Amino acid sequence: METAESNHPTNGEGPKERQYSRLYRKFVFLTLISSLVPLLLLGWGINIYYSNFSSARMKEYFQSQVEYHRKIIELFLKERTQDLQLVALTHSLEQLQKQPNLMRVLDAINREGQYFTDLGVISEQGKHFAYIGPYDLMGKDYSQTFWFKELMEKKVFISDMFTGFRDAPHFIIAFLRFEGERRWILRASIDTDYLRSLVENVKIGHTGEAYLLNQAGIFQTSPRSSGKIMGKAPLAVGQFKEDSGIRILERDQSSPGPQLPKQIVAYAWLKEPRWLLIVKQDYDEAFRNVNHANQATLIILLLSFLGIILITVIITRTMIKTIRKRDQESDQLNKQLMQASKLASLGELSAGVAHEINNPLAIILMENQVVRDSVEETPTLEEEFKGQLQESLSQIDAQVQRCNLITHNLLRFSRRTISLIEMVDLNAFLREVIQLMEGRGKGMGIQFNTTLEKDLKPILSDPSKLQQVFLNLITNAMDAHEGKPYGSISISTRSNSERQGVEIVVADSGSGISPENLERIFDPFFTTKPVGKGTGLGLSISYSIIEQLGGAISVQSEIGQGTQFTLFLPFGPAKDSQKNLEEVPDQPSLQDPEKEPRK
Amino acid sequence: MKKAKVLIVDDEVAFADNIAKLISKRGYEVTTVNNGQSAVEALDESDFDIIILDLKMPGLDGLATLKLIKGKRPGVEVIILTGHGSMESGIDGIQLGAFDFIMKPVRFEDLHEKIRQAYQRKLVHEENVEGLMPDSQ
Repeated sequence: METAESNHPTNGEGPKERQYSRLYRKFVFLTLISSLVPLLLLGWGINIYYSNFSSARMKEYFQSQVEYHRKIIELFLKERTQDLQLVALTHSLEQLQKQPNLMRVLDAINREGQYFTDLGVISEQGKHFAYIGPYDLMGKDYSQTFWFKELMEKKVFISDMFTGFRDAPHFIIAFLRFEGERRWILRASIDTDYLRSLVENVKIGHTGEAYLLNQAGIFQTSPRSSGKIMGKAPLAVGQFKEDSGIRILERDQSSPGPQLPKQIVAYAWLKEPRWLLIVKQDYDEAFRNVNHANQATLIILLLSFLGIILITVIITRTMIKTIRKRDQESDQLNKQLMQASKLASLGELSAGVAHEINNPLAIILMENQVVRDSVEETPTLEEEFKGQLQESLSQIDAQVQRCNLITHNLLRFSRRTISLIEMVDLNAFLREVIQLMEGRGKGMGIQFNTTLEKDLKPILSDPSKLQQVFLNLITNAMDAHEGKPYGSISISTRSNSERQGVEIVVADSGSGISPENLERIFDPFFTTKPVGKGTGLGLSISYSIIEQLGGAISVQSEIGQGTQFTLFLPFGPAKDSQKNLEEVPDQPSLQDPEKEPRK
Repeated sequence: MKKAKVLIVDDEVAFADNIAKLISKRGYEVTTVNNGQSAVEALDESDFDIIILDLKMPGLDGLATLKLIKGKRPGVEVIILTGHGSMESGIDGIQLGAFDFIMKPVRFEDLHEKIRQAYQRKLVHEENVEGLMPDSQ
């Protein structure tokens, strides 16, 4: 069944829907802005902070690595130098010239580890006096070698890696001993494997490595990545410095040859010999963890993004749905209020009109009587004319009575009166009302069906007013069957404990009411009956009566199917109807004058 | 039977005159006034049996006039004329001692009937009073 309400708002729906979707977009947009912008800022901030922090940590790590290894290498070299010094200072040339002595000394200084590969005693002129080692170096002349000259000045000398007479990279430590008038040199080759293992075994990830360079930029150890011991390093060594340092080497696009990736390089100079220790790693690998962390942050950020969007959309949907429901409810309420206020103001208006019309009607009636009297008093009138005149006068009387009925109804519609409240057994009451109408119904082929709830609680209401309402509804229901050979009117009662009252449904199988008419059905003077048949006040009066009694009346109808009026009546009289009456004290009860007015 | 004296109080001059015309023909002595104040003054000049009083009048309204009338002449019978809207005021009028009320528009026969009834009651009432207090005449 279609109701007047559901039929109504079809043309207002377009712009409203647009409003909702605009609201929807606005909410989503604002929510996203206000949640995503801080999220982005936070993510960005965390990223920057974390990158800086971990980059600093990484640099610190590299620097400590390089310093640590420098210390180890320096310590190693220092110990070996001291070993040699000790030997030179505690032995005379004569002692060391003897091969077995020299052998014993070599064994002694190699007791802790095979650090020294050979040991030799060399004269001031650069000739070997004695030699212990795997190579045959006896009698070789060193006077022209680079280290020999330098040793003469420095007393102690640690060489760079060189191949020398033996064709294998090695380095030597030499000590110049002053023994009285004589000068002689104790010279030892250091096992390069051991030193190289110290440096070359430094492993940091896949690309991390350490190596030594001399001042000329020649590899003193073999780097793991590229290059070989004694090879030339592809980077500039720079000047000797006390401090260790760290540098990030960008990819050098301009230089020829194979491209090195971006690298982090920590470096430190050894004091003696002046070798440069380098610990380095590919930048990307070193910062892989940082990048991982950044990627994780990015993923979390992305997930948060999606989550926020999803939640925003869901929440906004729900919110819009709620708003739409509220709007619809308030629309409905507004419609009801408008209907009520329309009827109220129409009531005021009609009361005024009725009053104003009653006076002239009274005068017309009196004038009528005056004429009637005059006719009676005039014996000279022709009989025919007299008859005609009297008929007209009666007709005037009748028409004034008709007007009188209309104004009477109008005033009933508008008036607020204290009801004569009694206990009403609605079921019995309705049976009586039906009984009144049954005779007329039979003549029209209309059958009455009742579905009355058993043991219905009686209500406190005004039976005479209720009778008026139900007589009116049933009359309308019967009139709706005009042109149909038969039909039925069903009346049912049902108590509604939630609303504290009774619901009464009066349904007919008549012709139904079109949606346009359904909207105006309670308006005064609205009628579909032919002129003269109905005043259009019946339902208006019913409406105002039910409202006065604290109830409600609504209607549903479908063309061709019938119409259904649903009335609600509270168990007890409504409180605000009492209040209304207190506000209008000079309009007391419309009661039988015989009875004691309640005041 | 002596002629009953009727005072008609209504601000609608045409209406008052018509009633006056009609009931004087039917053997009453009629006076018309068009407001409450004149009605009260008319009471001073002459004695009335019946007063037909319209409730809705400018100036002194019907109910106030009724109070003054009843204060001056408690024995006079008052028939109230009222529009539908002020039917409740008609009931108020009865409480204030009016004989009855009639709603406008009214057929003359009905009005005439009410006047007759009122006059009869007045007569009965007077008899009773005379019967109770024979010394008063």
